[in-house]
Amino acid sequence: MSAPTTTARQPAAHTATPEAPARPSRGRQTIITVIVGAIILAAASGLRIDWTDLGRVPAQVVHYLQLMFGPPNWEKLPRALEETWRSISMAWVGAIICVVISIPLGMLAAHGIGPAWLRFVLRGLFAVIRAVPEVIIALLLLAVTGLTPFTGALALGIAGIGTQGKWVYETIESVQDGSAEAVRAAGGSTAEVARWALWPAAKASLLSFALYRFEINIRTSAVLGLIGAGGIGSMLSNYTNYRQWDTVGMLLIVVVLATMLMDTISGAIRRRIMEGAKPRGMERSS
Amino acid sequence: MSSQLPATAPANASSAPSARSTPTVPPKPRNHVRTAFIAAAFVAFTVLACTPGIGGVDIDLGAFVQHWRNGWNKFVQLLQPNFAFLPRTVGPMLETLQMAIVGAFAAALVSVPLTLWAAKPTNPSWPVRTFVRTVINVIRSIPDLVYASILVVMVGTGALPGVLTLFLFDIGIIVKLVSEAIDSSEHGYMEAGRAAGGSQLQINRLTALPQVMPLFANQWLYVLELNVRISAILGLVGAGGIGRLIEERRSFFRYDDVSAIILEILVVVIIIEVISNLLRRRLV
Repeated sequence: MSAPTTTARQPAAHTATPEAPARPSRGRQTIITVIVGAIILAAASGLRIDWTDLGRVPAQVVHYLQLMFGPPNWEKLPRALEETWRSISMAWVGAIICVVISIPLGMLAAHGIGPAWLRFVLRGLFAVIRAVPEVIIALLLLAVTGLTPFTGALALGIAGIGTQGKWVYETIESVQDGSAEAVRAAGGSTAEVARWALWPAAKASLLSFALYRFEINIRTSAVLGLIGAGGIGSMLSNYTNYRQWDTVGMLLIVVVLATMLMDTISGAIRRRIMEGAKPRGMERSS
Repeated sequence: MSSQLPATAPANASSAPSARSTPTVPPKPRNHVRTAFIAAAFVAFTVLACTPGIGGVDIDLGAFVQHWRNGWNKFVQLLQPNFAFLPRTVGPMLETLQMAIVGAFAAALVSVPLTLWAAKPTNPSWPVRTFVRTVINVIRSIPDLVYASILVVMVGTGALPGVLTLFLFDIGIIVKLVSEAIDSSEHGYMEAGRAAGGSQLQINRLTALPQVMPLFANQWLYVLELNVRISAILGLVGAGGIGRLIEERRSFFRYDDVSAIILEILVVVIIIEVISNLLRRRLV
């Protein structure tokens, strides 16, 4: 792009080796790097953290890890397993509530399905829900349903609508192709378009997202437990407050193993759903 | 369904030419047994999850009828945000943003080597790879607020446990997503590098890194957004940021202040989203 300058700068290029084009200017990149660096430095210096504290963090962490895992106290394991199941139930019921509400709403919020005003209203609603932390929703519900796992499940269900709804309309918009138009051209109503064009195309992704919501809820249910909604999170927060570190260590092991197990199962099912959607075994006929 | 396909497809293909005018429609692949099994498993799991006797969720719709007014009052208060409170939120909001940036930056620095260690094309040695992946999975499976509540005890209240929580949380996300993307992407450049006799380090630095840099940048911006959202709740356990203010106003039952703060978080998150979308478009 700037051949004259290269030859001017590299007179030796007359020999057999072909001349390399000039390196693209890095000026803009440098400016961006400097700005980003300045923002990060400003943020780090603005924080009221005594950075020398950071030096004693490793020693503290090792100390507490020894208290937790050297060795963990397995006495309360049966109760921990029961509470884990309560958390999983909370996550599952929450996921069902969330998915059942967000699939129709998300479909209506997709381009070309519902009217424009409804689209804006729904997308605004999703954005607002996304900004409200689950914990706040749970604290609101708490006044109605009390400190129960049901409150946790409801909070998970409602708090998830924001993100889940967004995924649904993004999925619907990405699968929208000729089929929706074809159904509409054949005289189909919006409901028929959704049933015969959008749902078959988006089904696999939507189911996969639904299971993914369950995985997210398992993590979040532990958070809701911290405010007293029950489940493994409540137990964890109680024993942290009692400073019974060996039991906390056992609970952490249970949380990690249970989360990984559920992730593995759910991930395997999701992969099956997504791959099942592809026409396997068709390569033989061609 | 797919297991039936190879058997039926050739049969239909051979019978199709014989039917002259109307092409025969192949039978719809259906598997009632499998569908019934899936439905039964779904229903069973749901029923078990709703059985309070074994620790399930007790669905108590009666509570709505009895106590709906309690929640409704709070909700009405939430709908009337007290914007006069906003000036007091500036300091904590700034702290939240600073925590988010520092946490995301520290995670960004550490995530690059960890990701390259966790992906197959950039790290052929499986023991190291498995080790790094296991550590990342363990880090990922502990919820953010659990980190925060334990770290608060370990290092004291304030912004430091918050930053550490965000750091751990971000590493889990970045390393997992980017290393999976490296695993599933085309490795033509890396193969070329290997064919040219490059060492693994050279291949990673000169071919893998430039290829995945946009992915990294994408995830870094994403965790920055996430951090702002998360630090809204970190304050609940004393880990600093705007969450501490939410917790304070809530304990005074000033839900009008709480909703003003929530709206402020919404606006800040949207601004960050817009900026990061602009940056993203530049990068990709």
